[in-house]
Amino acid sequence: MTTATVTVTAPGRLPTTDGNIWEIWKFIRISAIWLSIIFGAVWLASYAVGGLIPSLLDKYMATSVAAQNIASILRLLTPLVAVLVFIPINATYMVLAERRGLALFTVRNGPNRVGPDGFLQTGADAIKLLFKENINPTGADILMFTLAPIVFFAPSVFGALPLLPAVTSENGLFNVLSFPTGIFYVLAMSSIPVVGIVMGGWASNNKYSLVGGLRSAAQAISYEIPLVLAIITVCIMVGTLNVSDIAWMQNPWELSQLKGADALARWDGLHVDSQAVQDLRSIGVQNLGNLAFFNWNIFGGDTVSGFLALCIAKKVAGGAMIFKGICALLLILCQWLLCGLYMTGACAEINRIPFDLPEAESELVSGYNTEYSGIRFAIFFLAEFTNLFIVATIAVVMWFGGGSAPIPSSMYAPVMDALGFIASNVNKLLFMIGVPETAPILDPKVMSGTFWAVSKVYFLVYFAILVRGTLPRFRIDQLMDFGWKRLIPLALILLLAVTYLKELI
Amino acid sequence: MFALVGRSVESLRQVARGLGTVLMHAARNPITKDFPDSMPHLAGHFRGRLALAVNPQSGDHLCISCLQCERVCPDKCIEITSHKSPETNKPELINFKIDHGLCMFCGLCTEVCPTSCIINTNDFEMADYSREALVYDLRKLTLTQDESAFYFNKKELPMPKPKPAKPAAKPAAAAAAKPAPDKPAATPEAAAQAKPEAKPADTAEAAKPAVAPDVDKTKELPKAGSDSAETKPEDKDSAKPAENKGEQ
Amino acid sequence: MTVELTSPELKTEEMLINMGPQHPATHGVLRLIVTLDGEIVKHVEPVLGHLHRAQEWQGQNRTIFQYQALIDRVDYLSGMFTSWAMARSCENIEGLVVPKRAEYLRVMLSEMNRITSHLLWLGTYLIDLGAMFGFPFYPFREREKLFDLFEAVAGQRMMFNYIRIGGVVRNPPFGWFDQLKYFLDEFNERIDEYEAIVTENPIFLKRTKGIGYLSKEVAMNFGMHDSCVRASGIPLDLRKTKPYSIYPEIDFKVPVREEGDTWARYMCRIAEMRQCVEIIRQCIEKIPGGTTEELRKGLGTTGPEKDDSKDLAPEMMLMAKKQNAGLRVKAGEGFSAVESPRGTIGCYVVSNGSDKAYRFRWRNPSFCNLSAVSHMLVGSPIADVMAIFGSIDVILPDVDR
Repeated sequence: MTTATVTVTAPGRLPTTDGNIWEIWKFIRISAIWLSIIFGAVWLASYAVGGLIPSLLDKYMATSVAAQNIASILRLLTPLVAVLVFIPINATYMVLAERRGLALFTVRNGPNRVGPDGFLQTGADAIKLLFKENINPTGADILMFTLAPIVFFAPSVFGALPLLPAVTSENGLFNVLSFPTGIFYVLAMSSIPVVGIVMGGWASNNKYSLVGGLRSAAQAISYEIPLVLAIITVCIMVGTLNVSDIAWMQNPWELSQLKGADALARWDGLHVDSQAVQDLRSIGVQNLGNLAFFNWNIFGGDTVSGFLALCIAKKVAGGAMIFKGICALLLILCQWLLCGLYMTGACAEINRIPFDLPEAESELVSGYNTEYSGIRFAIFFLAEFTNLFIVATIAVVMWFGGGSAPIPSSMYAPVMDALGFIASNVNKLLFMIGVPETAPILDPKVMSGTFWAVSKVYFLVYFAILVRGTLPRFRIDQLMDFGWKRLIPLALILLLAVTYLKELI
Repeated sequence: MFALVGRSVESLRQVARGLGTVLMHAARNPITKDFPDSMPHLAGHFRGRLALAVNPQSGDHLCISCLQCERVCPDKCIEITSHKSPETNKPELINFKIDHGLCMFCGLCTEVCPTSCIINTNDFEMADYSREALVYDLRKLTLTQDESAFYFNKKELPMPKPKPAKPAAKPAAAAAAKPAPDKPAATPEAAAQAKPEAKPADTAEAAKPAVAPDVDKTKELPKAGSDSAETKPEDKDSAKPAENKGEQ
Repeated sequence: MTVELTSPELKTEEMLINMGPQHPATHGVLRLIVTLDGEIVKHVEPVLGHLHRAQEWQGQNRTIFQYQALIDRVDYLSGMFTSWAMARSCENIEGLVVPKRAEYLRVMLSEMNRITSHLLWLGTYLIDLGAMFGFPFYPFREREKLFDLFEAVAGQRMMFNYIRIGGVVRNPPFGWFDQLKYFLDEFNERIDEYEAIVTENPIFLKRTKGIGYLSKEVAMNFGMHDSCVRASGIPLDLRKTKPYSIYPEIDFKVPVREEGDTWARYMCRIAEMRQCVEIIRQCIEKIPGGTTEELRKGLGTTGPEKDDSKDLAPEMMLMAKKQNAGLRVKAGEGFSAVESPRGTIGCYVVSNGSDKAYRFRWRNPSFCNLSAVSHMLVGSPIADVMAIFGSIDVILPDVDR
């Protein structure tokens, strides 16, 4: 209905169902700027610590043993530096993104006063938190009270380190972290924060905090089981625990580069020799690159994309194709369910709606968080958003292909060429000013990988924000009921299903 | 078994429906108004801050110290000081205090005022740093002639009757008393004349047709979405109390 | 308090929790002293009076003309209804017949007030259940539109001071009826949106279905009157059982459900909002004199000068008797009740002929609804306390007056 010609003397708001691109554009603009800042800063810091300085030391002080040791130590510390630079800046962005995202969903403006479009809002909040008094409640165990946020936060951050090489296509800076049992390490580290929650609840000397802390701990350990089972199922399907390998195998571009026996060695090592694998090798593994996102684990990974490649090359036909096709569809369904299971378990781990009972304001006035103020509260707060990012990154690496583009490799080749051109020119400029040639700053694989990984991770993060804006929360017993009686049986069934379906295809 | 699967699928579908509805709202205009960058467009009889209007034509104060508003106020926030003027033998206003910290903006005082002197303005930004500063006296409360004309027009109040001439000038009064009885009858015309005077204060509202039997009231308001283009006298008004506060 | 169990070595204690006056979810300053056995509520004692403002005393110490401005604040979400109850009881004593147009305006604005009250209940109920960050803003968007309409006609967004003894204060301005029609046209879609997000949501259903059962007997014994009893199967709505004003001329349904749990109360209120839209639509069609434009066209004016003139047909007037500051009500007693969003608001007036009433006694629905809360809460886990308490729709100023 058009209301433009109404002559009203009554003040009023006209129906507001018109389109709104401007607000969405503002949101995209802020995100783009902040994300560039975040990842630019992270990359520069990692490059400086892990690439530039060690290579300079190698070049100009090659004889000094101390310099060599310092260079190796710096190389080892690069992932830590990356993470330490990343966390505060990312949290600064994510809080703003959450507030503006929720505002978009609730037809409001988010923060838009502090800085252009609310750019500096979280900075202002952080400064405010830092100025607050560090209250020590009477009767509280001060040592445990202070350690609780640290025990809560640090393990999940360290646990995320193996994901770095997965996302950046095993760039030399981060390759030190690419070890064979990567995912096991990640999952193990994600179990430690529970101790921090219980410590926080107990050490606060507050009935409500204690109840909140225990509830949160119960919730966390209950939902860890479907989470771990989901990840293990994917590892069974893929055949390896190495995070870098899992990401590599889903990358269409990387797969398209597998021409020749040397390049294939890594692929061979990850695949048990079977009829299907032999057929695939005979038609050329690089053809998998043309199947784009069907290589992603969410669509069945290697198993299904290999099957599709064989179908296209007419190596499988007739009844076998139909049977294997049905199995492939079932496998894809299982993978979607597993991803959903993982995200549910992950939301419960990090206390997000619909599982944020421990922090529920209307129930227990903030649970284990109640007595915290100032910098300690800031760490809990930071932890929630960083955990969300980490959990989303794990999901992206395990299911959505890590740093890979969902574009067939033949179409993506020009993009990679262009990136390679830019990278080589920038590197040449750097080499001209004296940087040793062992430390190029730009790498097309890293550029492409970071861009796609970040887009996918934030897509999942925005989905989590949408869920936060929609769903009410579970009651504690319903939560436990849901976790133990619904999710764990589903996870076990899916584990069996995927194990068999993978063999059948 | 199948019932369980069916229920799960149905639950997922409902959750997806809820998520979709919320997601769709991202494509709608925000309803937040950018106050104070855009002032809300308020109705004529919005009950904001109280003020004392003057006669829009002559500028005389309209208060006759009848003390009706002081008596009717449920919160007893009005304090009027008056004395009987020795010349006219009628009550004359000395001071008029309203404690806006007590006032509940019910508008009863404006209803009982016989001369439409005390009115509710459209101003609601009265925040201050101390309770004493909320006590407005006669100086702060009195509106200028332009502002009074704006409010008389906006609230569609009848124009005040002119004050009778002073009894000291008797022959002039006899001559003045003659046109005086005509004036109330001619009030609509006077109202029509007063309208063009009042116009400069208020540009966005189209003029009422003078003495209009046909009721095509084409008063168009600025669209709700646009920032208010009215040059609100309240801006001057709010500058006034600010100055007064500065002086205090 | 210790509870002896059969195995003496296992000693348990009941825990006393204070859901204190300051709590984000008790909808006002209410203190609930809850005795818990583990997680199950054993006993609930509401401690009232934190918001007592002596409203009935105010009635005795202010003139009736002044008091009309104060009673909007008794239940701030249903200001029209409290004014209406008082106006009706005084009109009963005086024997005034309110003009039809005034009655229609009263009904229209009261139904709009019912919509705003239910919308606020909906938003805050979802906040209690945990959907704090998304859903509650949508009902508030609709409330803003209704507030603009209220402001145009009554002068204020919430404390209307509009319904007086004998009628209403003024006619709505030009364009008001059109704006209202726009709102009604899109409001049904909005309710559909709310239902899409909430009603079939599995988490919401788990939190509200089967929770907080209120039986018919308990509801009747405690004198509860609003959606709570209609959700328990008792079709009690004053607009139908003891019709007043022009409700007999309007065709609308009263939603009644049998389940008696929290979800049934939610469904009843959503259905009531839809019925309000129907009522307002019919009022717009049937109002004597039509919209303000039509009325003033008939009068030949553009402003409100002649809106209350004596030349008007009696059904198109605004007030039965013009009010002044010395308003008096004949000596006598009168009681009347109206159906407010929370139940029945009843006003009992004892007048002695002067301009101050001798006694005003208010029968407020939230007080009676709150008295039954212990029956609803006992036996449920503490996590459900807020879900059940929120569904009763209690407003504390109404309870404490």
